[in-house]
Amino acid sequence: MDQFSLVQQAIASTFGVDPAEVCLETAQKDIPEWDSVGHLNLMLVLEQTFGLMFDVETMTQLTSVKAILQRMELQ
Amino acid sequence: MTTYSEHLEHALRGASSSQIGEALRPIKAQLSLPDINRLVNRLRSVVAPVITVKLAIVRTYAVELLRPYWMMESLLQGLDLQIYEAPFGALFEEAGLGAAAFHPDVTYFCLRWEDLDPRFSCAITGLSESEQDDLAESAVEWVFGLLSAFRRSNGGLVVFTLLPSCVDAELGQYDAMAPNSERAFREMTKRRLAKRLKNNLASVYFEDLDMLCESLGRTNLFDMRLWHLSRYPFSTQGALALIGRLISYPVLVKQTRIKVIVLDADNTMWGGILGEDGIDGIAIGPDYPGSVFVSFQRRLLHLQERGILLAICSKNNAKDVANVLRVHPHQVLREKHFAALRVNWEPKTKNLMSIAEELNLGLDSFVFVDDSPHECLQVQEQLPQVLVVQTPSTLVDIPGCLEGLPRLQALSLTQEDKKRTNLYVQEQQRKKLAAASVDHGQYLQSLEMVMSVTFNEAKHVVRIAQLTQKTNQFNLTTHRYLEAEILRMVNDPDYVVADFSLTDVFGESGIVGVAIVSGVLSGIAEVEAFLMSCRVIGRGAETVFLRELMRECVRRGIRHINAQYFPTPKNALVKEFWSQNGFQQNNGVYYAEPVRWSPPVSSLGNITVRGQQ
Repeated sequence: MDQFSLVQQAIASTFGVDPAEVCLETAQKDIPEWDSVGHLNLMLVLEQTFGLMFDVETMTQLTSVKAILQRMELQ
Repeated sequence: MTTYSEHLEHALRGASSSQIGEALRPIKAQLSLPDINRLVNRLRSVVAPVITVKLAIVRTYAVELLRPYWMMESLLQGLDLQIYEAPFGALFEEAGLGAAAFHPDVTYFCLRWEDLDPRFSCAITGLSESEQDDLAESAVEWVFGLLSAFRRSNGGLVVFTLLPSCVDAELGQYDAMAPNSERAFREMTKRRLAKRLKNNLASVYFEDLDMLCESLGRTNLFDMRLWHLSRYPFSTQGALALIGRLISYPVLVKQTRIKVIVLDADNTMWGGILGEDGIDGIAIGPDYPGSVFVSFQRRLLHLQERGILLAICSKNNAKDVANVLRVHPHQVLREKHFAALRVNWEPKTKNLMSIAEELNLGLDSFVFVDDSPHECLQVQEQLPQVLVVQTPSTLVDIPGCLEGLPRLQALSLTQEDKKRTNLYVQEQQRKKLAAASVDHGQYLQSLEMVMSVTFNEAKHVVRIAQLTQKTNQFNLTTHRYLEAEILRMVNDPDYVVADFSLTDVFGESGIVGVAIVSGVLSGIAEVEAFLMSCRVIGRGAETVFLRELMRECVRRGIRHINAQYFPTPKNALVKEFWSQNGFQQNNGVYYAEPVRWSPPVSSLGNITVRGQQ
């Protein structure tokens, strides 16, 4: 699976939505379950799925699929 | 199977909550959040819990992120969870509104030290001894005030917690030597708090979260990034450990407690196979691997000492096992520690059923511990209500294999619990006497029974509540009560709360019967509860107890007393109790006038009531 599909899967399973609803343009505002609590859940799921470690500032910035993919490219 | 992934995949293939739970044991503490989500999905597809439990959380920090952990733990225990989270920081208002209106079974208070008194935000070590004492007193009273207000409008279980400090003691390593040690101060305050709650409120527990720091370490318990972002304190590991503990309370309220641990012998109580290695070849003693089994037996002994019954179910020659129990110098558990022994070549499932019958306990209160995957699978398949624990293949993990089982937590301890195995031994002695007696009457006389009856005794509240919850057969109304409710009635002049205990030549049975009568003040009373432990059925104790109850009713001015029989699948034996014991009947309601009532004479002669001739 490519990076996008993995992120799509993580977002879909964290928020209980259909993976088809998650595309490259998707951001926090597009998914009702992606509120402030949901966001932290997603951060933890991404960290633990991909073996990453985000600092506080990064966590506040990863509010869209594009931002997440950009951050993952840095690893 | 050794890696995390292998264990996880095995768990994800489980077909029941107990199978999945058993498969998870080696890796549970290290589960990642994505894997917890996968497990919750799997559990949702194979578990259809019929038992609903309502939890309310009153808090001053964020708890929403705990949901996935609550979901997993509750499904593993076969519970359908409904959670109500009170608005952030709402405390006293919550007592009257939101949380109470939800009618929760368990309410958790998730508070911080700073909530108890603003002085906790400053340096505690800067306070003098009398200032510290004052602070502790003020904190304890504040909590007591909060929980009593809550208790007045809510009858469920209450669990009070304090978030551990996320930093080390101010004085660091020197704290242990300091006269005004911060750690000593916190321990003292917690002790005072637990005592105040236990002595003055019923069904309120203090859950000490500092124990999480001890098992995990502060840096592993907290995730400071989440704390600063959202006031939510816990790492994944921390949340797993926390909910693993907190789930004990809904389990206590809704699930059958474990009462019996059935143990295999070979490679469970000792290393090796007795039949092959002989008494001198089995591993049990101060050196590895024997040390592992000594450790395990000691843990089991502690469980037995607090009321859990032990039994042996082993495929061996009975004489060989009896010999080890009697003479092996390093064997910790001896014959007297076991309430039942099945050492034979029969199928273990058959033996389990026979033990259940002998002890008169349901198999749903049993744990079966065995090293053999084959035996474990057979029991799991044929007796799904039995909790099966296969001993870990890594020997050093064996002593802790029963740790952290929610249904084994001792959340209230009574005198009867401590003497339980002894009670079963006494019962076996009575059975021997009965077999040797000419007739039942002679048997009862030889017992020389003495009954003690007490009324409205606050010290008996825990045991009385326990009896109303556990007793199914000799129970006229099957009303279940929590400790809080019993305590309220004990202190209310409108109620008679009676209990009795029996002593005979073999020993004391502890409190074994309860009666609750309401409507005292009006003179027209109602029997809300009348029940007796099945342990003492067949001795005529119920009639003597009823006579003492009626005497008390006369004393309290009750002119007329109504009683009912509410049929259940288990209490058919008391269907005619009221009519057989001097009550008249009118349209399904029984009644009597205490002054005019008299008991049937036949069964009275064998029991003396203490304090009377």
